[in-house]
Amino acid sequence: MTEYILRRRSLARLLQSRHFVPLAVVTLVAILVVVPLVRIVLESLTPEGLRAWEAVTLSPLSTNLLWRPIGNTLLLGAGVATGCLLLGGFLAWLVILTDVPGRRFLGILSVLPFMIPSFAAALAWGTLFRNERLGGQPGYFAANGLDIPDWIAWGLMPTLIVLIAHYYSLAYTMIAAALSSVSADLVESAEMAGARRGRILFGIILPVVTPALISGGMLTFAGAVSNFAAPALLGAPVRMQTLSTRIYGMVQTGNIERGYVLALLLIVAAAALLYFSDKLVSGRRAFVTVTGKGSRTKRFSLGKWRWPLFALATGLGLMTTVVPLIVLFSSSMAMQSSGLFSNWTIHYWIGPAGTELAQGQAGIFRNPVLLDAIATTIRLGLTVAAAAMVVGLIIAHTIVRYKGTLLGNVISQLAFLPLFIPSIAMAAAYIAMYGTSFGPIPALYGTFTLLVLAATANLMPYAVQSGRAVLSQISADIEESARLTGAGPIRRMIQIVFPLAIRGVFAGGLLVFIKIVRDLSLVVLLFSSATPLLSMMAFNYASLGFMQFANAITLVILVICLIASLLVHIMQNRIQGWKSA
Amino acid sequence: MRLSITGALMGAMLLTAAPSLAQDLNSMTPEELYEIAKSEGSVTVFSLSSRIALVEAAFEEKYPGIDVIPVDLNSTRQIARLTAEQRAGVYAVDVLYLSEAPIVMRDLLPAEMVSGYVPPRIRNDMSSAHQEPLLTHRFSSRALMYNEAAYPDGSPITNLWQLTQPEWRSKVLMEDPTQRGEVLDLLTEIALRSDEMAQAYEDMFGEPITVDGDLHGAGEQFIRDLFNNDLVMVNHSSSLRSAVGDKTATDPSVGWTTYSAARDNEREGWALQISQETQPSAGILFPTMLAVAKNAPNPAAARLLIDFMMGDDSPSGGAGFEPFFVQGDYAARRTIEDHPDAVAFEEVNLWTIDPVRTSEARGRILDLIIMLQ
Repeated sequence: MTEYILRRRSLARLLQSRHFVPLAVVTLVAILVVVPLVRIVLESLTPEGLRAWEAVTLSPLSTNLLWRPIGNTLLLGAGVATGCLLLGGFLAWLVILTDVPGRRFLGILSVLPFMIPSFAAALAWGTLFRNERLGGQPGYFAANGLDIPDWIAWGLMPTLIVLIAHYYSLAYTMIAAALSSVSADLVESAEMAGARRGRILFGIILPVVTPALISGGMLTFAGAVSNFAAPALLGAPVRMQTLSTRIYGMVQTGNIERGYVLALLLIVAAAALLYFSDKLVSGRRAFVTVTGKGSRTKRFSLGKWRWPLFALATGLGLMTTVVPLIVLFSSSMAMQSSGLFSNWTIHYWIGPAGTELAQGQAGIFRNPVLLDAIATTIRLGLTVAAAAMVVGLIIAHTIVRYKGTLLGNVISQLAFLPLFIPSIAMAAAYIAMYGTSFGPIPALYGTFTLLVLAATANLMPYAVQSGRAVLSQISADIEESARLTGAGPIRRMIQIVFPLAIRGVFAGGLLVFIKIVRDLSLVVLLFSSATPLLSMMAFNYASLGFMQFANAITLVILVICLIASLLVHIMQNRIQGWKSA
Repeated sequence: MRLSITGALMGAMLLTAAPSLAQDLNSMTPEELYEIAKSEGSVTVFSLSSRIALVEAAFEEKYPGIDVIPVDLNSTRQIARLTAEQRAGVYAVDVLYLSEAPIVMRDLLPAEMVSGYVPPRIRNDMSSAHQEPLLTHRFSSRALMYNEAAYPDGSPITNLWQLTQPEWRSKVLMEDPTQRGEVLDLLTEIALRSDEMAQAYEDMFGEPITVDGDLHGAGEQFIRDLFNNDLVMVNHSSSLRSAVGDKTATDPSVGWTTYSAARDNEREGWALQISQETQPSAGILFPTMLAVAKNAPNPAAARLLIDFMMGDDSPSGGAGFEPFFVQGDYAARRTIEDHPDAVAFEEVNLWTIDPVRTSEARGRILDLIIMLQ
């Protein structure tokens, strides 16, 4: 009995200790991220692994196995990050800070491309721009007499365009969230003090959104370097390889150690580049702008540029959403990809089995595995979104509150570590770790739990960043006052931090949900027949050449993402209605 | 009622006394297997061919009460999945229908991750070499295909070395051999057939071949020259097929794919034909095998499905084999005839691979290809 009380006391003391929260967070992040990473390193140090190191770095293979792929990878990453910041920044500025017509419409349009899986965008690109390099049925433009050179049809350029078109909405989301926190008071006082527009933009707005720009750049860079589908589909015909296609190829052909080595090198290269660009931009301190009080957003008048800019933004949005959708939809109805807009059939959606079409396979909605996959995919999306946001918010809060301390720095570095681990490598590490039972850790291969764990770890930076973007703007005064009145950490979290952070939480949760629902590179090694997922089904159909099925399922993924974001949009407006006042 | 109890009992006993019972199952007739399989209720199969959907429909019609759950996966991925699942102690799959014999023989069989099963009724219908260590279902191929509509007088490629010449630059297609094991096997076979490749070189150019110092023989030289002639690699065999086969094409490419792709000619508007005249060979034949997975949850249904897929005694193999009774697929059971449109098995100009030799040489060829890409 005494012992019990003592234990309870020490537990209570631990809970109240200043270090409990950061220590618990470090442990959590370590289990999710560091341990699998250590596992990859250890795997690469086995005799087999050492041979792989030699083959990758110091053999005649190195040029093609490592150097050229890593060059392409970094080029893609930098290009995509730049393009996304320009495009996303422009749209965010237009939607949040100006009086452009149809702002809500443009806002929704700018988030949409992110929901289209990048492999779908790549397939759509191929359907339109494919040239005679592969012979056979030409793309839509080539069929209409346009001469499409190789550099437009294949390789780095189209991959870059497809990835920018896919990721710019990510930059948009982050920059828009930051911009909407620029309060009207600031801008109005600057105006009253006689500042010109350019000065307001560069002197006030830009410094406030700098953290969002940096993280937007980092996330799009990280997304681009670990993307597998787009370079695989568009690069192969001209033999363009990135590290992710190399890693995938190595793992798929049983050379898993070479895959580990390449993954480790990719981690190092990406980490170095991101570290220096971060150092370069972030000499300045973040600004605390949003207080507990409600704030308004000041809108600039565009004058005669209202409609031209509206047209430009709409055009961009349509090119990256509606056009690929039309292509996907019509090719899911066309019997042959040559006749995209004629001879339509609904067989690939609801047709019965045993016909001449699709080698006797039934339409997707008659396939019991699809219905199962829809349920599993949504369940995975919701579970991961909830798990990631809880973890992300706790970590973000800890980072902000323990800023400057050693523990705070460690947590901050660890939380963003998954950014540098390409999804495919993360998946491989999780297999290495949970593929066999090890001590108290059971073998989780092929289970839903493993998918959730890996996805939560993989998407943690996104969740933490969304949480941090909002939390770092919440004044410490309020929490300080709550602490003085005796509110415990949990109560402060629930009653103060959470309500203030809700917009960011929803935005982050949506981001995570969409990312995992249409993710391919992470689940490709982790899924099993017990956990059918839509993106895997689509990819499998695509690799078997059943483009109609692949495109139809891609549209199903898109509809799920669309419904989710509409729901979130409605909820956000309901909760923080005062913002638009 | 009694049946289901028997079935449940047998299922329970299987867990404890697997080896001896597996022996019993191996000698049962299809009817006896069906009785036990009914209580198992389903059978999960990894299949390299999407035609498994047709097998599923036919099987469920003949054996109501047993649900076939097909999982469409290429052989490379089947092997990766099975290895990972079994290492984690997950035994979810019953039957594997796969190729990549070199890797199966080298990795899966010694670790007992799969075992062979030969339905007793067909033992006398096929060569024993195709029964051991795993049952061969049919022979599939990676064959050089050309466009019959564009070249009505026969294949433009009479000698493989033509493909390394400027005339065919950027006009030879292949699936990416670093991602598809079957294509890697094809290139490995070419490398192993160095003497024949050297002879073909001499036939074409009138002088003996000079091989680069770092290469082992004419086969590897061919691979290097082929890649340096801007060989086009694709991700899906489907794009390759339409590229080579499109009837309306004026100057079509050639490429290696499965000979059985020609079965879709009519439906897809293709004119694919095997380049039968090519010296020294148009490509490879490799076995496509049926195996029972270790600790298969539905051992009787697994065997019943394998039995069914091996076909009946009719010349076309009946409902079980019919999906594979097409131009370019050759049944291992020689009671089943070759498809009337196809070149006869004995005459088809393809090398049959030796899984053991291939598995030994595969790594080196993969590295060579990586250097050339």
